[in-house]
Amino acid sequence: METLQSLAYGFSIFLQPTNLIYSFVGVVMGTLIGVLPGLGPGGAISLLLPIIFHAPAVSAMIMLAGIVYGAMYGGSITSILVNIPGEVASVVTCFDGHPMARQGRAGPALGIAAFGSFIAGTCGIIGLMSFAPALANFALRFGPPEYFSLAVMSLTLVTYITRGSINRSLIMACIGLIMSTVGMDPITSRTRFTFGLPALIDGFELIFVAMGLFGMGEVLLNLGQSMKREAFKTRVKNLLPNRRDWKDSAKPIARGTVIGFFLGILPGFGNAIPTFISYAVEKKFSKYPEKFGTGMIEGVAGPEATNNASSSGTFIPLLSLGIPVNVSTSILLGALMILGLQPGPLLISSNPDVFWGVVASMYIGNVMLLVLNIPLIGLWVQVLKIPYSILAVLIVMFCQIGAYSVNHSTADVLLMNIFGLAGYLIKRYEFEGGPLILALVLGRMLENNLRRSLMLSDGSPAIFFLRPLSAVFIVTAIVILISPLFTRQRIGKKAIDMKDD
Amino acid sequence: MGELGSGLFFFGLSLLVMWESLRVGLGTLREPGSGFISFCLGVILSILSLLLILRGWGLQASREHFPRRVILALVFVVLYSLVLETIGFVLATFLLVGLLFRLGEPRPWWALLGMSLSVTFLAYLVFGIVLHVYFPRGFLGF
Repeated sequence: METLQSLAYGFSIFLQPTNLIYSFVGVVMGTLIGVLPGLGPGGAISLLLPIIFHAPAVSAMIMLAGIVYGAMYGGSITSILVNIPGEVASVVTCFDGHPMARQGRAGPALGIAAFGSFIAGTCGIIGLMSFAPALANFALRFGPPEYFSLAVMSLTLVTYITRGSINRSLIMACIGLIMSTVGMDPITSRTRFTFGLPALIDGFELIFVAMGLFGMGEVLLNLGQSMKREAFKTRVKNLLPNRRDWKDSAKPIARGTVIGFFLGILPGFGNAIPTFISYAVEKKFSKYPEKFGTGMIEGVAGPEATNNASSSGTFIPLLSLGIPVNVSTSILLGALMILGLQPGPLLISSNPDVFWGVVASMYIGNVMLLVLNIPLIGLWVQVLKIPYSILAVLIVMFCQIGAYSVNHSTADVLLMNIFGLAGYLIKRYEFEGGPLILALVLGRMLENNLRRSLMLSDGSPAIFFLRPLSAVFIVTAIVILISPLFTRQRIGKKAIDMKDD
Repeated sequence: MGELGSGLFFFGLSLLVMWESLRVGLGTLREPGSGFISFCLGVILSILSLLLILRGWGLQASREHFPRRVILALVFVVLYSLVLETIGFVLATFLLVGLLFRLGEPRPWWALLGMSLSVTFLAYLVFGIVLHVYFPRGFLGF
């Protein structure tokens, strides 16, 4: 009953005209970002961070959340029509979605992707609404050792489930953590590692790092490659799936929702890995597993439901614990801090307007997305025809002006461009920006809680193993770290390799 | 550069981090100082980068080639951040957009001019007028 009352309060917040507009802008931007290859939701949120300075906290979070789940819808369009995933969570959709399009069944593929996403997205929100407040209440018992161990576990999981070698990912996580120590020491208020530069007294601002790494870095990498891409020429018709399509897709959507939601909650899995697991599960359950990859609608319905359910799942640790589980939620956590909110278990009780406003916006946002995806598919197909050379210029300009608008400082623009170069080099030398950004966001919390725990325990690191919850987190992290010594293949590595191929 | 080069870079960085952490002060386990965690991270980074160096030791270094477009784009955006205050937002943005469009693919001059003008106008409209961002005017006064 209390949940329903809170939800009604959320709707009263969300239905204010300003918030409706922000939500609409968010889901349209998300779909657009999903449609356009080359810029993921993390990059899109980074680019829009300067705008949130000018918006109320609730409206800003509603818009940013809209981008995250909107991108999941949009990503399927390019996967199905041109065999290019808009972002990594839509890679699996290519496997059967594109063959369906080649057989003249692009309509039902797009239709089931949109309906599957809608059903899973809505179920995911119900899960978010039920689990997040309960988890936040539970997390009130957490002390510094639990927070330290949880942050270590999250970082380790994210580092473990990335493409490339663990060594390189760990190096990136270390760099992110080191960067988080630059500036004022939160305990002694002493400045450190600033090398006399006043710009570094407040540390590295997430906004410039994220815009540089994921906005500028991505564009520079694409500039170095061919900018031509296949144009879609086939006409899309009959978007509504028929009775047979629905019958074949119902169970995959249900299974995909469950897989996506629960794996989305876990750090590191994010949106991409669960889609590969869902695809594998559907293949296992199918009477015709040999036909997967030739245009089976189950291969579209399951993973599409999964990526939307997991995007709701990722909001649970973010909003109830203040722990991000992937790049998008790391930047969202940074956004919460920029907006003056204190992420953690008290966020829901101290800022119910933000939590319940975002939850309510997700319900209506999913409806908006269904409306955008089904009748406006022709428009998105036209968007696909925008040459990347034009898009790249627009992204670069957005980064430059966005960076300037934060503090009206050209030094910030320069800093963002330096991180753009860093982002380019990171990708060029096959490192990963994700662990760096997550470590940068979690760094302060990790350091504070480590130092407080050691002070509490009179300098004994055993405190992390003596408290049961902390022990579970830290032992999990250790097991994850040493597991590559015993197993040859990491979770998700094969999946990501398939995407790279 | 590859494994060996990046390994050496990160190893050098780890030494710098450890040196600076010692300078700031490590404190004790009972009362960790400002440089405590960064020193630990420096040690971990040095081990990880040594592993990278070891892996890259026997590999033949490939010849580095940075695409011309990437270098030029970087030069343009760095110049933009340096001249923005002096020549003003409108002129600097117009020039940067034009150069970047030219970098993407060859286009007739009138198309470049039109596209640069449109993007500059749109940027000014969205950020300057709708979002009230104060842009530098420069010596030309706009």
